[in-house]
Amino acid sequence: MIELRNVTRRFGDTVAVDRVNLTIETGEVCVLVGSSGCGKSTTLRMINHLLPHSAGEILVDGEDTTAMNPQQLRLNMGYVIQGTGLFPHWTVARNIAMVPRLLKWPRQRIDARVDELMKLLDLDPATHAHKYPQQLSGGQAQRVGVARALAADPNILLMDEPFGAVDAITRENLQLEMLRIQRQVRKTTVFVTHDIDEALKLASRIAVMDQGRIIQHDTPENILRRPASDFVESLVGKQDRGLKLMSLRPVRDLMTPHGSPKPSRPGADVLREDDNLRLALSVMLWQDLPQVAVFNARGEETGVITRERIIQEGA
Amino acid sequence: MSVTGPVASRIPPNRVIPALALSALVLVWLLDLGTIQPNRIVAGTGHGLLSSLGWIGAGLVTAVLAASIVLSMVPLARRYLLLLGLTGLSLAALPLLLEVFASRHLPEDSPYARSSMGAGFWCLLFLLSLMLIEILGRLKTRRSLQLMLLVFVCGSWLTLLRSDGLESLSLVREFNGQGGQFRQALWTHLALAFGAVSISAVLAFVLALKMIRNTAWRRPVLGAVSFLQTIPSLAVFGLLIAPLSALSSAFPVLQSLGIRGIGWAPALLALIAYSLLPMVRNTFVALTEVPESLADAGRGMGMTEGQVFFQVKLPLALPVIIEGVRITTIQAIGLTAVAALIGAGGFGSFIFQGLGQAAMDLVLLGALPTIALALLADALLTMLAASLKPTSARS
Repeated sequence: MIELRNVTRRFGDTVAVDRVNLTIETGEVCVLVGSSGCGKSTTLRMINHLLPHSAGEILVDGEDTTAMNPQQLRLNMGYVIQGTGLFPHWTVARNIAMVPRLLKWPRQRIDARVDELMKLLDLDPATHAHKYPQQLSGGQAQRVGVARALAADPNILLMDEPFGAVDAITRENLQLEMLRIQRQVRKTTVFVTHDIDEALKLASRIAVMDQGRIIQHDTPENILRRPASDFVESLVGKQDRGLKLMSLRPVRDLMTPHGSPKPSRPGADVLREDDNLRLALSVMLWQDLPQVAVFNARGEETGVITRERIIQEGA
Repeated sequence: MSVTGPVASRIPPNRVIPALALSALVLVWLLDLGTIQPNRIVAGTGHGLLSSLGWIGAGLVTAVLAASIVLSMVPLARRYLLLLGLTGLSLAALPLLLEVFASRHLPEDSPYARSSMGAGFWCLLFLLSLMLIEILGRLKTRRSLQLMLLVFVCGSWLTLLRSDGLESLSLVREFNGQGGQFRQALWTHLALAFGAVSISAVLAFVLALKMIRNTAWRRPVLGAVSFLQTIPSLAVFGLLIAPLSALSSAFPVLQSLGIRGIGWAPALLALIAYSLLPMVRNTFVALTEVPESLADAGRGMGMTEGQVFFQVKLPLALPVIIEGVRITTIQAIGLTAVAALIGAGGFGSFIFQGLGQAAMDLVLLGALPTIALALLADALLTMLAASLKPTSARS
């Protein structure tokens, strides 16, 4: 758990972060969102003490961070930055092994861990372990950045616009990847972004920041339904909220299940239980269908979802 | 030559090698290949290619050059490999021409007579070397192979120059005349140049660190080392004589250490002063140009400041720092030759003695090794810098 109590950061006369109170529960993904210069990165960098705070206190698992050795604090917090921050003179494997080496793990344990992480992030160790960061694509480099942050199995993950510098398709893949990994490893994550869609997709709770203050701290659904101010309302997009709400809910919520799953033709482009309602509606509009079959991860047909029900209850 | 088949269009004719070989062919026939002098001072009589080597020798030289012109034009897949062999062997065997020349023209009854290389020979040597560089570039050979080739050519030259047949060559005469002094000069030259480079490297490193930590140091330090660089080298050598003599007469301990107004001490000080600018500038720029985001990533992951410096900043800055060492080393080897004027020794002493005695061969005996040392240092340090860049070394 991370607690920020009345945390303030000044740069000279300007106040970058103004009396921020924020509690991030263990295992949740808290996304700090806001336009550039709103203090979200500054807030993140105060959590691992890269920037000392001017006033207030920051507690990690109940302990005040100012009293802790900064290196020890950071070794227990994975850190991913925009543009990866991979070291160009080290191979992929050496980059991932960075924190375990700082922690002086035995060699076999490091090798096994690097291997495990590369597989977790869908990077083939045989082809990529000995490459240098310059030889990777943007998406691969960002995966290595995430693997490096997870290497020593820290409790906390800090991510500063990690997917800001990659193209839209790669970003989408990385976001899905991140959701999958988060389901597996359950890290307390603080994620900074200026992209509200990214925030809605990844967050358990979103903290909207403006001019150094937290305007609203709530679940994605509540942020969409009950924006606390005009600023939040314009950030989430006034007219667009219906569809955004739909994209938060999985098809599973509104489908009519079959009594027992039917083994069926497994195709690549079918609708799955995990897909969101917005996608389901889009499929129906495009194919001009009143309803569409839903499949589970094993390719069995488990139910159907109707256009009518989505429109009635979707948002 | 007509371009007909697909092979011919895939391998275009090389333009550089024919041009070089043709120039070599023209120059070697026009200019004197060698000169015979009755003694050290008197001007000699020159001999052209035909007179120097006879029909067989002249024909062989012409044939080799013509062959390389033809080889570089024909669309043959392995032509550069063949050219490499041909040019490499020719370069290695070049002293044999001088041996043939000496055996044909040196008067047997005169012990002071000497043979020396003419303009034609120098042109041949120069143009063949250029051809070799072009071929190596085209073949994209590995550094180790290039080094082996260099060792082969140099080894062949050293062996041939030490053989009896070339004992009459003016350079060999001068070398033998100097005896142990050549080795002495070599060590002095190396000690002065590398001593100055090492000391200034340490100083520059400390200064660069100081400049990074404390911005107030930047302007004065860069200003001071730039100023040192602008003083003419001879003036620095001269300016140091007076204060150093005063110091050594005031403190006799210094005299027992060999520190006097002339000799190695002022030379070393001046060389260090000259080396500081490229060293400080490169070290400072190299270290400051490591992206701050990388240092930040290192710190954010839990590295201490020391670990950030030694594991991230220094390795990334090293190729540029070594580039500074390379420039400085070449410069210091050249300047050490001038330092002979204030009695520092080294190869410069042969040059200035030779100038004083109007013996050009003695000047060459000093100049050629200086050039060779500079080229060697350049090659070694370039290789070192290249091997430290991660990707280029592998892919």
